[in-house]
Parts: sequence; structure tokens; C-alpha cells
Amino acid sequence: MSTKMQIEELYGRLNLSRRSFLKSTAASGAALAAGGLVELKASKEARAFAYEPYPRDDQLETVVTSCAHNCGSRHMLVAHKWKDVIVRLSTDDGRYQKDGFFGKDGLVEPQLRACLRGRSYRQRLYSAERLLYPMVRVGERGEGRFKRASWDEALSLVASKMVHIKDNYGPTALLDQSYAGASYGVLHKSDQIEGLLGRFLGMFGCRTSSWSVPSYQGTTFSSRMTFGTIEDGNEDDAFAHSKLIIMWGWNPAYTFHGGNTFMYMRMAKQRGCKFVLVDPQYTDSAAAYDAWWIPIRPNTDAAMLAGMAHYIFTNELQDQGFIERFCQGMDAGTMPDWAKDKENFRDYILGKYDGEAKTPEWASAICGVAAEDIKKLADMYARTKPAALKASWAPGRNAYGEQYNRMAAAVQAMTGNIGVLGGSAEGVGKAWHAEAVAYPYDQWANIWFQAIKSDRWAHCVLNYPDVQREEIGLWPRQDATDGQIPNIKGIFWQGSDWFNQLTNINKEIQAIKKLELVVCMDSTITPSGLWADVLLPVATHFERHDVALPWYKGHYYIHRPKVIQPMGESKSDFQIFTELAYRIGGDTFGRAYNPKANRDYFQVDDNVDEAYLREWWETKVMAHQQVEMSWDEFKQRGVYKFHLHRPHVAFQDQIEKGVPFQTASGKIEILSGQLAQITDWKKTMYGYEIPYIPKWIEPWESLNSPKTGEYPFHLISPHPRWRTHSIFNNCSWLRETYEQEVTINASDARKLGIATGDTVELWNDRGRVVVPTYVTERCMPGVLVLHEGVWMDLDENGVDRAGNPDFLTLDEPSPAGAFAYNTVLCNIKKSDLEHKPGWDKLATSRSQVFRRDL
Amino acid sequence: MAEQKVTTKIKEAVKRRKRETYTPVQPEMQLGFVHNNVDCIGCRACEIACKDKNGLPAGPRFRRVQYIEGGTYPDVYAYKVNMSCNHCAEPACLPTCPTGALFKRKADGIVDIDSTLCIGCRRCEAACPFGAPQFDPSEGIVKKCNMCVDEIEAGRKPYCVMACMMRVLDIGNIAEIWSGELDSVAIGPQDTVVRQVKNIAAIELTLPSIGFVAHSKGKVE
Repeated sequence: MSTKMQIEELYGRLNLSRRSFLKSTAASGAALAAGGLVELKASKEARAFAYEPYPRDDQLETVVTSCAHNCGSRHMLVAHKWKDVIVRLSTDDGRYQKDGFFGKDGLVEPQLRACLRGRSYRQRLYSAERLLYPMVRVGERGEGRFKRASWDEALSLVASKMVHIKDNYGPTALLDQSYAGASYGVLHKSDQIEGLLGRFLGMFGCRTSSWSVPSYQGTTFSSRMTFGTIEDGNEDDAFAHSKLIIMWGWNPAYTFHGGNTFMYMRMAKQRGCKFVLVDPQYTDSAAAYDAWWIPIRPNTDAAMLAGMAHYIFTNELQDQGFIERFCQGMDAGTMPDWAKDKENFRDYILGKYDGEAKTPEWASAICGVAAEDIKKLADMYARTKPAALKASWAPGRNAYGEQYNRMAAAVQAMTGNIGVLGGSAEGVGKAWHAEAVAYPYDQWANIWFQAIKSDRWAHCVLNYPDVQREEIGLWPRQDATDGQIPNIKGIFWQGSDWFNQLTNINKEIQAIKKLELVVCMDSTITPSGLWADVLLPVATHFERHDVALPWYKGHYYIHRPKVIQPMGESKSDFQIFTELAYRIGGDTFGRAYNPKANRDYFQVDDNVDEAYLREWWETKVMAHQQVEMSWDEFKQRGVYKFHLHRPHVAFQDQIEKGVPFQTASGKIEILSGQLAQITDWKKTMYGYEIPYIPKWIEPWESLNSPKTGEYPFHLISPHPRWRTHSIFNNCSWLRETYEQEVTINASDARKLGIATGDTVELWNDRGRVVVPTYVTERCMPGVLVLHEGVWMDLDENGVDRAGNPDFLTLDEPSPAGAFAYNTVLCNIKKSDLEHKPGWDKLATSRSQVFRRDL
Repeated sequence: MAEQKVTTKIKEAVKRRKRETYTPVQPEMQLGFVHNNVDCIGCRACEIACKDKNGLPAGPRFRRVQYIEGGTYPDVYAYKVNMSCNHCAEPACLPTCPTGALFKRKADGIVDIDSTLCIGCRRCEAACPFGAPQFDPSEGIVKKCNMCVDEIEAGRKPYCVMACMMRVLDIGNIAEIWSGELDSVAIGPQDTVVRQVKNIAAIELTLPSIGFVAHSKGKVE
């Protein structure tokens, strides 16, 4: 089949026009006539329907499935298919669950309606960027030239290189850069720590792991230190019960945290809840909830929270009873015996140790929020019960970002808003606990020989062996290899586009040239894939059997059958690793890696996947979660929604029943016992000291630093709504509704002579990017906003024409591991350089729909 | 802004033209949309659901969410106005069509287009004050929202409505939408529905079948 024909076939499947759809499917199926279309064409009602003949939903086969990308949520997709082609997608309308009916919705069993990204999935599935065959690089690395290879050739190459690298460089030579990507399910799971790749490389005996999570490592650290768990979240329906919701760096209109969080917040609003947004941008969430907007300088959130704590303490508004029962180290009275010589939080805030009271006025000078507003917010938060301070992840993606989340947890605790319906201890915010593992999970699940902070791999490769362990955040080991710097010679990407997504891409470009093997496993070509040696085509979640689980909030499972056969020669990740295991280690490795399969699995995966999933459902879901529905009934319905007897609220049992918190002390550790007892920080994974109580620490770049002389703007790079990180960037439906553009405050733009739509360049010492501009009053002066995840597109001088902010970010993580994505100073000017909105040169069309009314 | 240009003179001319050119179909019942401009988070799931349902390439967009913003930092506001075809009582598109491809359904007042008759002259596109007819360059014809008549006939609601994550978009008998009788979660307990908001053309032009929960800054006096 020629390339042109393949593209035409793809477009046909995309249903780009009804006429071409009918042409392509009619050719493949004479049985069409039996489906009712002809009848429709002949009917008198034909004229009443514009584009007839046209398959109506009820004439197509309906298959319940879900989306699968790496966002904080998971929604139902319903595939309407004709033979092996998905003609369109709809979503939950209440019909599919047990006792469901069309239109069933509401507080208890809300519909799981997919967002714009989920609805665009057919464009990803049938995109021209789809990888259909294994490919092997023929040009220079990064040049983007590949030739088609057979599976046998590609896997032989990978297997032999793996063995060579392990034999020559030892057990740390292969770096695991797997991530959730578009492969998040209970069986086919790419995961940074414990997914299919980690188990494969661990069993092979050559794996350096990447331990810090890009989106929320500072937050994870805070939740673990303070509460002893990252399950500090409420289910989304709990938000409907708040009287005050403070969205701190949180934009639920963009990042869908939980199936219906934004809808429950609307219910709260209708019940009289007040909303506050602390953020450099006036977001769509602020608009929809009519929030009081408090613009704040990026990276100064911990200071403002400290100022609020000061106001609450000095006005005696804290919940002292709560503090004394549940907190460690909040004040002198809650210090454990072993820590009498240590600092407590209250006295730190009052300035007892450093002579500087953290007053609202002190905070105001740092964060740019008027002292009166800090006091007003503190007063509101302390007096309104229950109140939810949702301390979201973005302000934690900073230099010392963990201090912001730790400070927020202290303020949540001092006001007694933890463990009560309508309050919030989030944090990470993971809520209802799903049974998440259907893949083989055993002693091999997370074997690693060294583990580094994820955004330090390039630094490690470029400087090996002259690297200090603290520079790369080396995780301690209990054996003789402790402290040995990994000698990284190869990278695996499974469901991850990390080359495009980690910090300081120009440094990564230097580092990747030094490697001997780069393998990319994905469903589409990605910017990372262009830098690979071998591209392995992975079946999408429409093309393999799995079950979807909500990642973050939500209590349901969605069945994900093999809706269509895998396109081209694509295989599931599990098939690929199993086959590689057989090639490298024969039956021993192969059987151990995939115990339910034999080597035929590479050709036929249905029975094996079914066996794993059935076992998971019967031994975990039915056995542990009081589910009576059989696996077969679940498969037939496609969805199971749990009924919780009350809204799930984190730590409710701790507060109501006195169950100990999961920390060593059993208390909310404002003073972290673990941190207070560390003496040699270099030997920890953190590398550098972290205070044992929350403290304000000046970041290395901010609007308050002298570097603003050269680089006067602070750049933040939030998660976009029209992509999930980098996934979907190639979908024209999404790209025509939004544009990769830099947001700038109107007065700043006036000074620079910049108008909406002008092409500008942003630069600092690390790189240069070109983008169009969106000028608005909705952004704080001095702040620029450029969303992460656009597919990089370099010109011959190394300038990124797509506008990827990670050419400007610094690969210097916070001690606790937080990526400092939002700790970036840069400059901006009008530019004659070329901007390319996407690889396909599609013109975006935001200007047609965007209107200003000043 | 269109409404500023609609002087009494133009209104008179519109009336005369309508009287002299055509008599619109009087539907037995008129279906219409209602959109909550305030509570909408502007996610555009409705737009994408529509593109997928109707198999549209990049370019034509039956449903369009307008982002409105204003004020001066830090005292700003923002809201959304979401429209597709308004299935007007007096559709401006209909009399412009030289082939009779455009028609208004008697039963429910939906304005639809028969693509087999469309010659792609794009007159309807120019005539519609709300931008509803969309030219599809890949086929050289005009297409437009038909409120998913196939779904309505199957007893369901259009794809855009069923896609709305915030449940702020709905359809119903337009008379009930305007009178506040429609039982719909799109309209909150304290909300009232208006026919005209600032950011759309004057409704006198075509009498669009749509209601809005307006933002305070989007209300017309």
C-alpha cells in the first residue's frame, strides 16, 4: 500500500466527511445493506436529515470504553463503530451502569462525561502521526530519519544492544523514563515507578529509576511528611459541602481533578459557597465560580501562607483544641519530648528564632499581595466552617515548592479544616483507593540499581563520573553500591514523551547524543520519538483489553475492551516486553515476566489479558471492595459505579474516631520527626537540607531577585486544557480552539509595543522560543504564562518555533525533588523569527472566537 | 457591536423585507438552546463532541464558545457565550438559499440543510448574523447544526448538550426556556433567563431560539 493510500485510508476512518466515510466502508462491507442505511435513504424522512445516508447511533455497534491519557481523571467514552472502524464517540449518558437510564445524573451517581480531549480521541487514533510499524533510525540521532523494520529486526536490535550495554557498563546503564502517558490502566500500565517497563528492566538486571514525579513531587513530599500518606484527598462530591473554597494555584476548569469536581463546586456555589483564587492569572475557574481573585507573585506562596498563619495566631483564631489533639510541633505545647530543643511552627511564625515576625506586612513585601488582603483572607478562612483550602500542585513545582505545600498543610491544620466534610487537607489529593494492579506484581515489581531525581539525568550523563550524589538526588541503598553514580548509556521511553517534557531541553539534547541506545514505545510519533534509535508502535487503549480506573478521584471502574483490532503492526507494551524477555532470557525470563502467557502472546493476547483481568476483578475488586457484580456482567455493562455511604473525606476516621495518622507519631506532623532526625543530608535522596517545620525560603529566581535586571519577567508553565501534557498536540480539532501563545499583562504589553497576535520571542540563558501573544488584563504584571507540552520544533539555530517553555526552565530541582518548572525568569520582545503552531502548519483560529469588551 | 447599528430605520427595513420576501414556517413547537454564560467553564467539550459527531475537518465549527473578558487589572471579569445555530423563528439564511437546500422543520422548528442540494454559494453564511452556517472547504458545501435531529428522534438530546461537563447547556421548548418553566440543571435556582446578551447580534434580526443565563456584565438594559 502506498503512503498516499494509507493516509487516505486513515482520513476515511476519521470520518472527515460523511461521503468519504461511506465510500471507504461500503467498499469493505457488502453487508452494509442489512444495517438499515438503505432503508433510511429511501424513507420519506430522508430530507429531514441533512447528511443522509448517514449511520445513526442506533444503527451502529455501541461499545463502552474510556479515555486513557495521563490527566487527573478518567471518563467514559462510548464508541459507535461500524465493523472495525470507530465512527464517532459519545460519552456517559446514564444508560450504561446497573439500574441506569438515559439522563440519570446527579450527586450520587453522576455521569462520567468526557472532556474535550477525550472527545477528540478519534483524531489521535486515526492520526497521520500514528506509528503503525517498527522503525529504525537511519540518520543522525534527532534528525528524524527512520526506515521501516520488521518486528524481528527491531526487537533483535534492541535485545542485542541491551545485553551489550549491560555487559559493558553494568546494572545502572539503562534509564527507565516510563511515565503514565496514554497507557494508564490496571493491566497495560506505563508507570514511572512500578509499571511494565520497570519490572522488565529490573528482571533483566539493568535499571536506573527516575524517582521524582514531574507534576507534584513537592506536594507528595509534603503530604508524606505531614500526613504520612498521599491519600489526603476528598472525593469530588465532598466539595459540594464547602462554605468557602480557596483555589490556591488550582484551575479545575483546565485540569480535571476527578470526574466531576468542577460540577460539584457549581453545586457548592448554588448553596452559597464563596470562592477565592490565589493565582497570577484570573482563570476560567475564577470566572465560573465568581471568585475573589488575589494575584500573587509566582514562587512566593509560602510567604503569604506564613503571613496568614501569623494573623491567625496573633488573633487567637486557631482551633487550639484540634491542634492539641492532632498536631505535632504546631506550637510549644505540641512538641514531642525528644524535640524540646527544636523549633516549633508558631514561634517560627512569630519570629522567635530569626527575629523576624512573619507578619502580613512582611509577607506582602515578598508576595505582592496587600497586607489587608492577606488579613482578610486569613480571617475568612479561620472563621468560615467548613472551608476548603485546596493547595494545588502548581505552586509546588518551584524552587522549595515543598515549603508551600507544607505551609498550606499547617494552615489547614491550625484552622481544624482537616477530616471534616467541606474541609480539605489536599495536598496531593488522592482520595478513594482503587484496586489498581492486574499486571504481574511481585518481588520484581520495582527493582532498581540506582534511582535519581528525574530531571537530573542529563546532568548525570554529561558529567559522569564527576558527579556528586547530592547533585542527582541519588536514592540511598542498603548495600555496597550505595552512592555509586549510574553510568547511563541508554533510555527507554514507554508511554512517555519526557524528552519534550523535562526541564532545560537544550541540556538534554547535549546529553542524548552521548547515549548508545534510545528506545521509544508509543502510539504516535512524538518529539521524543524523533530522538530515538528504535520506534516501537504501541496499540492504543482502543486496541487492547483493559480496565480503566480513576487515577485521582472518583469511585468507579470502566471496562475497556479491544474495541477495534490493533492498527498496522502495533502491539501492546506487555506483548513487546514479553517477547523481548523471551529473546533475551529464553523461557525462563519469558515465563517469569508474563506467567500466564507463552511466547504466542506476541501474536494473540486475548485469552491471557482476559485471564489477568478476570483474576484481578474476582480476587481484588470482588474480594476487597464488596462488589457483587460478576466479571461477565461488568464486561457486558461496561461500567461499575460504587455507592459510598458518605462522601469520602480524608482523615475523617482520625478526627472522629481517634485513629492515628499514618506518620510515625500518629499525629499531623507540622514538625516532621523524620526530617528532624536527619544528620547527613548528602546521604539522603534529597541531597540538601530541608527544614523540619514549614519555612519560607527565598527561591533562586523570582521577581524579587536581582536577576530581574536582565530578565524582568517571571514565566510560569501551567498544564493546558487542550492537551494532556504533550498528548493530543497533533489534534487539529483541539488546536483550532486554543493556541500555544504567551499570556502577558496589558500594561506590560503596552510598554513593549506588543499586541494580541504579535509574534514574540522569549529567552534566557538556557534557550529561546517563538510564540504569538495573548494580551490581557487577566494576568499579573511581570508574569508570563506559556503552557507546557507543545511539540518542540527547532530551527537551524536551535530556536524552538513551537514555543515549548522547557527550553527556558532550569534542570535544578528543589531539595525534596520538586521540578522547578515555575521558577523561571526570562525576557520577551517582538520578533521576526518564524512561529510554527504545529508540525502540520495548521492555522489556529482563536482569533475568530475571541473577543474583548473593555 | 451589531446592536449599536440597529437603528429604528434598519428595524423597519428588516420588517419590510421579511414581509415582502417570505413567510417563515410556523412550527408546532419550537426547540431551542439555553446556555448559562456564568457557570460555563469554557472547556469546549461541546465543540469537540460536535466536530466528532458531524465528522468535520479543521475549519468549520457548528458550535462556537466565545470567550468574553473585560475590566482592568486586577478588577476583571470573564464569561462565555456559547452558540451554534439558533434555529431562528425567522431564519435569515433560509430566503437566501437559491436551491431550497435550507428548510425549517414544521414539527420542532429545527433549521436544517439538505447537503445534496447545497451548491456552496455561501449566501446563507453571509446572511446569518450569528455565524451559524459553516463552509466546509473539503467538500465545497455549507454545513450547519441540525440539533442532532437523529438523536432527538431517538428520544435523546444533541451531542453538545450531552457532552457538557458542567451541565450548563440544554435544549427544550423555547417558550418554556424563556418563561423559566423548563426544568433544567443548566438554569440554577436563582437564575433567570434572558433572550439578548451584549455579545451577540440583535435578536430582532431573526428571533433566535436561544436563552441565556447572562453575566452581570453581559446584560443589556
